Amino acid sequence: MATAAMGGGFMNQIMRSNTVSLVGKAAAPPWPWPLKGFQLYCCSNTNNNNSNTYLTLKDEELMRQCELNTFKASGPGGQHRNKRESAVRLKHLPTGIIAQAVEDRSQHMNRASALARLRTLIALKVRNPVSLESYSPPPELLQILPRNSTHRRSDSGPQIGPNNPKFILGMQALLDLIFAVDGSISDAAKLLGMSTGALSRLILSDDSLWKAVNKLRASKGMKPLK
Amino acid sequence: MLKLRSSGLSCGVCANFRITIPRCYMNSKTTSSIDVKPKVPLYLRPPSFSASLSELTKWHKWAKNLASSVGSSFINLDNGPDSTLLRRELNWLLQDLIELQHRLVILSRLESGNNENPDVSVALRAPLEEMYCVWRQRIEKRRPFQYVVGCEHWRDLVLSVQEGVLIPRPETEVIIDLVEGVALNNAPELAQSFWADLGTGSGAIAIATARALATHARGDACGRVIATDLSPVAVAVATSNVQRYGLQDVVEVRKGSWFEPLKDVQGKLAGVLSNPPYIPSGDISGLQAEVGQHEPILALDGGISGTNDLLHLIDGVASMLKPGGFFAFETNGEQQCKFLVEYIENEKPGSFRDMNIVSDFAGIQRFLSQLPQPGMEVYNLKLPIKSARCPWSNNDEVHVVEYEGLTSITVRREIFSFKLSTISCRRLNPLSFSTLAPVLQTRAEDD
Repeated sequence: MATAAMGGGFMNQIMRSNTVSLVGKAAAPPWPWPLKGFQLYCCSNTNNNNSNTYLTLKDEELMRQCELNTFKASGPGGQHRNKRESAVRLKHLPTGIIAQAVEDRSQHMNRASALARLRTLIALKVRNPVSLESYSPPPELLQILPRNSTHRRSDSGPQIGPNNPKFILGMQALLDLIFAVDGSISDAAKLLGMSTGALSRLILSDDSLWKAVNKLRASKGMKPLK
Repeated sequence: MLKLRSSGLSCGVCANFRITIPRCYMNSKTTSSIDVKPKVPLYLRPPSFSASLSELTKWHKWAKNLASSVGSSFINLDNGPDSTLLRRELNWLLQDLIELQHRLVILSRLESGNNENPDVSVALRAPLEEMYCVWRQRIEKRRPFQYVVGCEHWRDLVLSVQEGVLIPRPETEVIIDLVEGVALNNAPELAQSFWADLGTGSGAIAIATARALATHARGDACGRVIATDLSPVAVAVATSNVQRYGLQDVVEVRKGSWFEPLKDVQGKLAGVLSNPPYIPSGDISGLQAEVGQHEPILALDGGISGTNDLLHLIDGVASMLKPGGFFAFETNGEQQCKFLVEYIENEKPGSFRDMNIVSDFAGIQRFLSQLPQPGMEVYNLKLPIKSARCPWSNNDEVHVVEYEGLTSITVRREIFSFKLSTISCRRLNPLSFSTLAPVLQTRAEDD
């Protein structure tokens, strides 16, 4: 069957093409922490508003931290226009991260897409400090680990994949760890109680996660994961 | 195999897509066709047609080239769509055309130009010849994309639209944010009453409001929405949209002009919403072709200054709303909003409470609304006015005021006004009127 032959690879392409409109840049963020070309936002330790909480906020709460911009209509708009100017741009004020969505057909849905993208970008770009001594993976990270990780407990539930909205919480925690061990997959795998190969497979399962890890590894002069 | 003709396709080929001559709409105020059968939007038709992948690819290339050939010429002509937007519309057209199961695979095949398996058959919701025809109409006749696919995505809804019905605009989505954020959050009891959407068109505002009321209603006492429209096409399309969302018991569509079909709910409405025609007549000829040549003039032309219908709505709305009610009307922008606020201040003193001008997402002052008054509820009590006595009448904070047969008792920050057998209660603190009412009633009977 031809359609079967076209399989999941095309899905990936679509996912990739969707991320083309992702924009991540800082407009004078309060605590820039540049790391060899990889733009990074880090929470100051004195700030009680831990960045980790951004992703646990409800949509409305996260929205309140954002400046909502839509592309200014030229002219009077409203009944005058048929141009589907439904693009939405969200700027997350605490971090300066910008997410936008244009390809949905309604303003409302673009807002939802932009917010979902903002969550992904926060997970990819906002790093939390990790203490490597006495490290134990947080529950949101355990959720995305495969069954054979020795840290997984019976109450960790089934492994959730990149399509689950909760995946990004685990992804953020995983990136925190990988940054803390300076990009070493084997060190991170040891701390997670899994094999290096299994962790590599997990990283490769999500495009954006994979790219973020490789950017870090490149900045450390390490070979990219393939 | 389908024979594809890249040119010479007459529009007669596609029976489902009659082009209505724009001039027809000029007469729509006087037409009175009764039986309007709403068209089925493309995305809801059965996938009973098919084409080979190579045929579909050929059509897609042709359509993309046609879109690209536009460049910025429409922008320069009348601020119409450019190639980028048209190509985005083409993607949306493909989304609606191709059956869901294989959509992503096929769409990425078309994007990548992958030549594998050209003979594989793709299930489509319309014949490919029709797609040549309608894409021509889109580009050459400037037929709105939404009429081509027969639907518009609006908020989280997909609404059927067709010639004769105004395509709901993204700006208007904000009205529902006002209903939810301003009205229902501040005065939840409004979710249990009657609402009206005047000049409903596709039914967009009415349907989204009904869904908002259901979310905010407590218990099973959910409010209802009455949608009115003068146009028989709009009434038919709105009715079918209401049915598609399973809201026929909540939204009632009535044919008639503005408040005319609402005599039975006079003074009972919790909220009145409308996106009336507001474009000044002089601006109609300069509209982009998609709007000016295809959409119903009835839904666009608001008279010389554009405010004919808005003024009619302002004049009528106060007597339609119950105390504490909410309204929101869309306008042409800052100038009209300011004019209407002035009109209300000068011509309607005392009829309206706090007026609010709200901007759309592009920053244009777009909506005029009256904020709801929280806790304003009307109770019917058998209570002879003169004998009414408040149980706290020895309290300094209680004031009894009588004038013109109307008794108003203020308890702390609460106001009760007695008029005949009706009590209006404005409740500003948590003290519940329902606990007060029996006491008042008992006292009244004692006397």
